[in-house]
Parts: sequence; C-alpha cells; structure tokens
Amino acid sequence: MESAIFTHALRENLRIKRVLPWLVLGATLVFGFALKWSVFQNDADKGQQYASVSSIFVFHLLALISAILTSTIVNQEIENKTIVYLLTRPVPRWKLLVFRYLACSLVVALLSIVNTLFATAGVYGGLSGNPMLLKDIAALTIGAFAYGAFFMLIGLMVNRSMIVCLLFTFGWESAVPNMPGQMSYLSINSYLQAIAEHPSQGSNKGMGLLTSTLGDNTLSASTGYIAMFIFVATLVVISSLWFTHFEYLPREDAE
Amino acid sequence: MISAVNVSRWYGQVIGVNDINCEIGPGITALLGMNGAGKTTLIRLITGQLRPTTGDLRVFGQEPFANPEVYRKMGYCPEIDNFYEHYNGFEFVNYLARLEGMNAQRAKARTAEVIEMVGMTERAGRKIAGYSKGMRQRIKLAQAMLHDPEIILLDEPLNGLDPVGRREFMDLLGALANSGKAIIVSSHILFEVEQMTRSLLLLHRGRLLATGDLGVIRELIDKHPHQIRIETDTPREAAAMLANLPNIVSMRFERSGDSIRLEVREPNAFYDAVMAAVLEQGLQIRGISSPDNNLESVFKYLVEA
Repeated sequence: MESAIFTHALRENLRIKRVLPWLVLGATLVFGFALKWSVFQNDADKGQQYASVSSIFVFHLLALISAILTSTIVNQEIENKTIVYLLTRPVPRWKLLVFRYLACSLVVALLSIVNTLFATAGVYGGLSGNPMLLKDIAALTIGAFAYGAFFMLIGLMVNRSMIVCLLFTFGWESAVPNMPGQMSYLSINSYLQAIAEHPSQGSNKGMGLLTSTLGDNTLSASTGYIAMFIFVATLVVISSLWFTHFEYLPREDAE
Repeated sequence: MISAVNVSRWYGQVIGVNDINCEIGPGITALLGMNGAGKTTLIRLITGQLRPTTGDLRVFGQEPFANPEVYRKMGYCPEIDNFYEHYNGFEFVNYLARLEGMNAQRAKARTAEVIEMVGMTERAGRKIAGYSKGMRQRIKLAQAMLHDPEIILLDEPLNGLDPVGRREFMDLLGALANSGKAIIVSSHILFEVEQMTRSLLLLHRGRLLATGDLGVIRELIDKHPHQIRIETDTPREAAAMLANLPNIVSMRFERSGDSIRLEVREPNAFYDAVMAAVLEQGLQIRGISSPDNNLESVFKYLVEA
C-alpha cells in the first residue's frame, strides 16, 4: 500500500511535462551563468564562483521548485477532484500524506542535484574537482525535505497556497537571511547555507546580498542538520494531524 | 448497516442536510431528490468525507470520518467525472486496488475481474482521457467493487449511460443486492429509480421527506388528482367520450387546440378506461402523457400532504 502511494506520487511528479521545464531552466539559467560567472566575479577563484552560483541560483531554485511541486501534494488532488478516490480507501490519511510528501521531496531533491551538477559543470568544466559538491548535495536534499514539509503544511492550511509559498520563497527566504541579529535563524536557507559551508563572500556586500549570506549567520553545520531534522519532523507531524482532522473535498464543492 | 440519528450538516449558513433520521440495510436503496436536495451531502457523510455538524451517523456501528475500518467494507462511486486522465483504465483501477491493501499480484488479478464485470476488458488498455461518459461510469463502478464491499454507494451512476448500458448497470446492481450487499443509489429521476428498487429515501431541501416503499409514496401521490395530457386530432369528439369515463375531476382544452388536459383521480383506473374507450368506442388519440410523473410533482404532493 505504502509503496503504491509512493510510486504513484513519484510517477506523477516525474512526468516529463512537470520535470522538463525545470531541467530547461536549470540548463539555461544555472549552467549559463556558471559558465560565464567570471564576468561578475573576475577576482574570485573557482570555489568562490561556484559558491556564488550555487547560493544565488541553485538554492533559490530549490525553494521555488519545492513551492511549485510540494504545495500541490494535496491541492492538486482537490483541484482535479481525484481526492475522493484517495480519501475513501482504507489508508490512514497520514500515510497518504507522508508517502506523497516523500516522493515529491525526492523529485525536488533530484532536480536540485541536477542543478548543482549544471553549476559544477559550468564553473569547473566538468563534474570533477568540486570540493563543495557533496556538501551541497546533502544541503539540497535536506532543503528539499525542509521546504517540502513547510509548503505541504501551507498547502493543507491555505486554500490558494501557491501565492503564499511564492511570497515566502521570493520575499522571506531572500530577505530574512540578510537581516541583522538573529533574524537569519528564521530562514530555512540560513540552515542550508550552514550545512553547505560555502566560503564567505568577504567584504563583497553586493554578492553577500545576492547569496543571502549578508546577515550574522554563525550557525554550524551540525546545528543546521539538527535544526532541519527537528523542523521537518515537527512539520510532518503537524501536517499529518491536520490532514487527518480536517475535511478535504473536490474544489468546486469546497467553495 | 447505516444509521443516522438527527444528522444535520451545514456549510456555514447554508444547509446541506437537516435532521436526517434513517436506517439503511441490505438491498438497493434509492436516494431520491432534485438537484441541491442534499443527496451528495448525505453520501459524503456516509462515506466519511464530511462530518455531521450535529447528530450521530454510524456505519457498521462506527463513525465513518477518515475511518479505514469503515472503508474496508465500503465502496464509493462518486458523481464527479474526474480521473488521472493519463492513466489507462486498468492502471487507474489497479492503483486503487493497491490502496485497498492488495499486493501487486492480487491487485492485478482483482482489477482484471472487476473490469470484466463492468464490461471494459477490451477497452481497459486505452487512456482514460479518451473514454466516453459511459466508459468512465463503468470504470468508476469497477473501482467501487474492487474489495467486494458490503456497502456500495453510487452517486448518480446512470448519468451518461446509454439504454443498453443502463440495463446492464441495473442488472449488475440487482445481482450485487441479491448477494446481500447494501447498494445506495442517488438519483434525481423518479422513473430511473422505479426500475431499480422499491425502497427509497426522498430528500427535499436537505430534509428527509419520506422513507420506505416506493409504492406507499405512489399511493400518496395517487390520492391527489393527476394531470394527464391527451393529444388528439379530434379534440371535441374525444372530450365528449372522455367526459363519460370515471374519476375525471376537470377537463380543459389546451391553447394549441390539439390536446386536452385532464385532472383525474386513481390514474391507473383511468388509463384502463381510456384503453377500453380506444378499442371499443373508437376514441382517437395520438399520445398520452402525465406531466405529474416527475419528482417536482412528487415533492409538491408530499409537501401538501
């Protein structure tokens, strides 16, 4: 039963119609900028260049992909009205939700990993020689699950959740990490940057602003792992309880 | 199997169903009501998609909302016409079979069985996006029968089916009911329901207006004068003959000039008398119809009663 839920969700999210736009965007945006990044940071070494491209494009795209894909875990079924087939089966609702979430987050992680490979290929001219690659993959995978858990909860609580999720992605996640004091602790991106351990942008404030590392982020990688684990676990539990407790009907009937 | 005690459901300030009391057991039970009467709300309450605002609704003695124990014994064929359109019929039903807890092998075998039961074997490999309305209804019924449930709820299942499909569908429902299952069928067409069952719940504006045998309701309806329209090429001669028949309360010519509208008591006796007049006295008629034989009239009579 669980494998069927997971496989179905994976199949839905891996449909070429869904994945292709992100791959094209990654290939043009991430790879394109990575290839020519030396134009913007001609004094930086390849590690610095990669870190900039990764922080600006790959990590922000991660949040965007997650906002688009994960916030629809339940909403898409509501919009398509197929939710009735799922909610009248002998499957605990939390299982339906969690296994769909796992599949969706996995796809988000895979797309983001492809993007980081694009960035590596653009900066280093191949897939080898990037000392930050493994840590970035770890951070992106954790980020996919963290953003996924957050957007899933928003999707369950808010009717038209996409707007909220996009505002969070472009507003909150871009601005808050750059704020002074401990405000950056309220951003998922700050924890992911701590896990990725990208080199500092130094005195380059413009680049610090773009990479969302301008704030006083003193988080360690281990703190990042622990915080994200607690964050994901808490949100998944809350989402499961929410989904089990509240009514979900096909869209036109819900209004 | 299903019991409702003072069940009401409100959507904000709008009423869905109001103070429903009923017991539903094996056999076919029709849930009859006009659009907006509360049929779908009641079905959603029974299938645990909604919670009652007040009252107590039990299925097999348990509250149905998000209750897997109830869903193990219940199949649901919704009114909606939506599917995973890129799936083919077999894949769709097979996926839902897996959600019933069947392993991959068992799910495939059972999927093939139910698809054959609804006569879709040859078309199950086609994408659902290309299915006709009738084929979609059959696939919906197939997924509702997957786990051989004790209760099957069908929300407007005959919509979109051609006459042959309807007949097959009704025969299938009859066979399921005869095997001891409870079949609940919602419809807004009295004629359709009469062909399936005598047991019904009549809903009107969220209230349960009548329950029990359709015959009792028919009798109640028949106590009121029935309107009957007779089309004829010779209205004056026909009127003269009809005036001598029993049970006529009133008679008037319609403006079109080629039909007569009658009010009669005991319509069945009147129909017999008309047939006799046609055969024995040469009464000429082109058509006979009853504008009363629809749900609106039924509700009007029942509300007035």
